[in-house]
Amino acid sequence: MDRRAHSSIPLASPAVRSARPAGLGPWLALGLPVLLMVLAPHLAPHPPDGFSLADRLQAPSLSHPLGTDAMGRCVLSRLLYGFAVTPAAAAAVVASAALIGGGLGLLLGMAGGWVDRVGMRIVDGGLIFPGIALALALSAILGLGMTALVVSLSAVHWAEYARVVRTLVVSELGRPYVLAATALGVRRHVIALRHILPNITHAVIVLIPFSLSWAILSFAGLSYLGLGPEPGSPEWGLMIAEGRAHMREYPRLMLAPGLTIVCLVIALNLLGDHLRARLAPGSDRLRL
Amino acid sequence: MSRLVHRLIVSVGLLVAVSIAGFAILPAMPGDAAEVILMERMDGEIPTREALAAFRADAGFDDIWPVQYLRWLAGVLQGDLGTSFRTDDPVLSDLALALPRTLMLGTAAALVSVMLALPLGIAAALRPGTWIDRLAMALAVVGMATPNFWLALLGMLLFSLTLGWLPVSGHGTWLHLVLPALVVGTALTGVLARMVRSALLEVLGADFIRTARAKGLHPARVVLAHAFPNAAAPVLTVLGLHLGKMFDSIVVVEAVFGWPGLGRLLVDAILARDGPVIQGCLLVIGTATVVIHLLTDIAVNRVDPRAKGAV
Repeated sequence: MDRRAHSSIPLASPAVRSARPAGLGPWLALGLPVLLMVLAPHLAPHPPDGFSLADRLQAPSLSHPLGTDAMGRCVLSRLLYGFAVTPAAAAAVVASAALIGGGLGLLLGMAGGWVDRVGMRIVDGGLIFPGIALALALSAILGLGMTALVVSLSAVHWAEYARVVRTLVVSELGRPYVLAATALGVRRHVIALRHILPNITHAVIVLIPFSLSWAILSFAGLSYLGLGPEPGSPEWGLMIAEGRAHMREYPRLMLAPGLTIVCLVIALNLLGDHLRARLAPGSDRLRL
Repeated sequence: MSRLVHRLIVSVGLLVAVSIAGFAILPAMPGDAAEVILMERMDGEIPTREALAAFRADAGFDDIWPVQYLRWLAGVLQGDLGTSFRTDDPVLSDLALALPRTLMLGTAAALVSVMLALPLGIAAALRPGTWIDRLAMALAVVGMATPNFWLALLGMLLFSLTLGWLPVSGHGTWLHLVLPALVVGTALTGVLARMVRSALLEVLGADFIRTARAKGLHPARVVLAHAFPNAAAPVLTVLGLHLGKMFDSIVVVEAVFGWPGLGRLLVDAILARDGPVIQGCLLVIGTATVVIHLLTDIAVNRVDPRAKGAV
């Protein structure tokens, strides 16, 4: 669950990447979950919370392709509805962290001087602490539940974006086009938003799939521990926690959501590698 | 030398920040800490408004925050971390029990990952593109994508419930340590092996390696005595970063296996809204992070004096 590990180790060597043009494949990593998120109510054979104790712990069948859980709920339907919970929560975490952290990084980079130095000390301080432990502590203040968990995870994740964006901004500041704009008397905020921002966006986009992976793993983990959505939600971590009680007799209850997470995260990491190779070939060296 | 002094000053600053955050968590939590404490003293009776006001004034809850913080800090420095809301035990004794267990798990996990990652990474660097390289890569891909709590359950299912080799959960014998250490350790192995591989590959192309080979040194000696020490700094940096971050994984894995360490103490305290224990855990975790960070930096400088500002 390490945030840096996701982004600092390329999964494929450059030679492998260029030998095999990736085409549509990597985009499925993003497209398929979004599609499932939207279509879950139409694809799922049953409602996610329609429990009937008479149908409990049934083996996979035509009407319940992955069987039913201890409450008689259809496991496949819950997995499908889960796409609107875990990945959606992760997307919310990443979006807020990227906007807040990125905005702050842009401000710090543009400000320079002591503001930048003090700000980066705080960002660096935030980066060295174990994120999950910090998020746990925050949930002591914010309480339990889905929203609280999204807020705590964003609150430990923003520093990552602040650091990267600030580094990118500082390196752009020395480029001729910025010097030219400055010499022409373009105002600072226009330079930041219209000149620099479009030139660094691609390097920030590269981070997003890895960031999503981290958020999905962290969200599922903390919700497994009981800090996330209420019991009964088709959240994957929670489904694993519920499946644990019947792990010996019915391992599929805990295997299915786990495998879903693993596949999604592998796909996202591969998409991240693909994007990095395409958009920011040199960024393996960027300390993320 | 001045660099070390600089790092020390930064570390002290971080420790102050940790202590402020640790202090702030109790007042920031929902509910009134003064009321909870007074209720404990009155054996669960709900205090009257007057009694509460008197207690607040008496115990210093009405002082301004900086005063409360300094008083709390003075207590902490003398080893007084308050008492648990839940069990009435001194927080310090809870921490003193939990910390060694977490350190034990962390050390075992770090050993597992290093002992697996070094041979794997070295082999992958020496034979890039072969099955061993692919294995290291596959481990990294899967290790990064597998939720640790799920891996823990898989291990439990296989080794404890099916094969019956290891205890399901708890602690006591060294057998209890095996599964948690494997789960935390293997998650790191892939990443670390990839790091060893790429650091070593970079060094293996250097002129001094060609020279060493040209003068007829044994290939093992070239790799272990010439190449590896030069690749050690980036590997050590990554390892140091991960030792701090490994706690993320330890928190969850401890809770899954019922390993009574710091992570489980923290999770239990949060679920029970036990403020003083949360404070104590945060202080210990924060301090440990700062110390590990500093030690990593010093170690990297020792191993490779060229690595200025690597961390």
